[in-house]
Amino acid sequence: MFTLVTKNKFVKTILVYGIISVLLVGINWIYSLFGHGVASPYMAFMFLYSLLGGSLFYLALFKSVPRLIESKGFRIFYNLYNSGIATLIVGSFMAGILEIAGTGSDYQKYFFIAGFSLIGIAITVMTIAIVLQKNTDSQKNTKKQVKKIEI
Amino acid sequence: MKKFLSKPYWWAVFYSILLMGCFTFVMLDSFVIEKAYAVVDSTTQTTASTETTQTVSEKSDASEAVITENSYQDEEISITINTIEEYDSTIYIADIQLSDPSLLKTALAGNAYGRNIKATTSEIADSVNAIFAINGDYYGFRDDGYVLRNAVVYRDVARDSGDDQALVIDDDGNLSIINESEVSMDSLDTESISQILSFGPALIEESEIVVDADSEVDKAVTSNPRTAIGQIDEGHYIIVVSDGRTDESAGLTLLQLATVMQDQGCTVAYNLDGGGSSTMVFNGQVINQPTSGKTIEEREVSDIVYIGY
Repeated sequence: MFTLVTKNKFVKTILVYGIISVLLVGINWIYSLFGHGVASPYMAFMFLYSLLGGSLFYLALFKSVPRLIESKGFRIFYNLYNSGIATLIVGSFMAGILEIAGTGSDYQKYFFIAGFSLIGIAITVMTIAIVLQKNTDSQKNTKKQVKKIEI
Repeated sequence: MKKFLSKPYWWAVFYSILLMGCFTFVMLDSFVIEKAYAVVDSTTQTTASTETTQTVSEKSDASEAVITENSYQDEEISITINTIEEYDSTIYIADIQLSDPSLLKTALAGNAYGRNIKATTSEIADSVNAIFAINGDYYGFRDDGYVLRNAVVYRDVARDSGDDQALVIDDDGNLSIINESEVSMDSLDTESISQILSFGPALIEESEIVVDADSEVDKAVTSNPRTAIGQIDEGHYIIVVSDGRTDESAGLTLLQLATVMQDQGCTVAYNLDGGGSSTMVFNGQVINQPTSGKTIEEREVSDIVYIGY
């Protein structure tokens, strides 16, 4: 069971990530027009972070744990996870620019390390939030059952 | 922190600014910020060829050079530049004959080895009184690839893609190709090497074309402005620059470039930095139409290959 607010929040997030995916495909296409035939997989596939890590991930989350949004740790998870995806997209875009230009940077790996680290921390927070919520739910159910028995 | 992370928009604003700041820094670091790692010691640079150059200078003093719009001739140097139209492109072919291999030289922008230290080919050529010059390998745009110039090793880090080839010019002026992943700088007899340029790929080896229609430079298989250097025999070189990215000149693929070099009789030929970098300078004048695709203007590069005393 989930509330309308929960559904709206998930749908909004899924849609935003979908729009970002389309924009990223567009950016790659426009960039390729001026690339004189030089392309980069980093830039060509950067939309996958948004599509798979964003839209599909939140769709799966909505289907499997819709009540996650009501947990206390959701906002922290949400901010960290989105920051991780954003970091990966920016890192991939940057790596694409550098690769197309024929150069590289020692710093680009840090974007990927930071991005995946943020996602890892976010998923850990989410897992803890789900466990805590289940515990809270089971405690509530136990209390309800106790009350029923008392009545 | 927990409270800050829980705020709906504060975190998003803060992190967006942080991310954009990091992105901007990396872009500036990669493309703009100059970093000089070594200053070229002009005395050291010329020592290797001082004796031969002195001999050459003495000889050249004795005879005046005959210079025309597309040729230079003295007792030691003969340069003839021909312009042809082929493959829907304008191609500038310089036929160069040197009596002394030390007259084939390289120079670095700003007289320094480093990253993002740049000047146009004509500016660098002017600073070393080059008679003829082309852009080099733009070593300063990358952190790997061998850099050995005028007998000084500046970078011994091989490129890591596995099939990156470098051009070796030995003290006798002979060109050869090495694979950076197979031949380390340490294993080379650097005492007998004048220059190593790191771009590629090789176009011709043992008189055979070694690229095909699918050969590419960093995934660029299309027609582009190109620069290449090749050798016919001892002291006899062919240098080709093609225009590209304009309505008048499409540019060459690597296979077309290799074919041009083979037609000129090259036994070995190597592709240098192309695109907007491709520039040929002769007697202080830019011969070709260098462009990155917008306006006709020289791009700043890290280094040049030149002929001069």
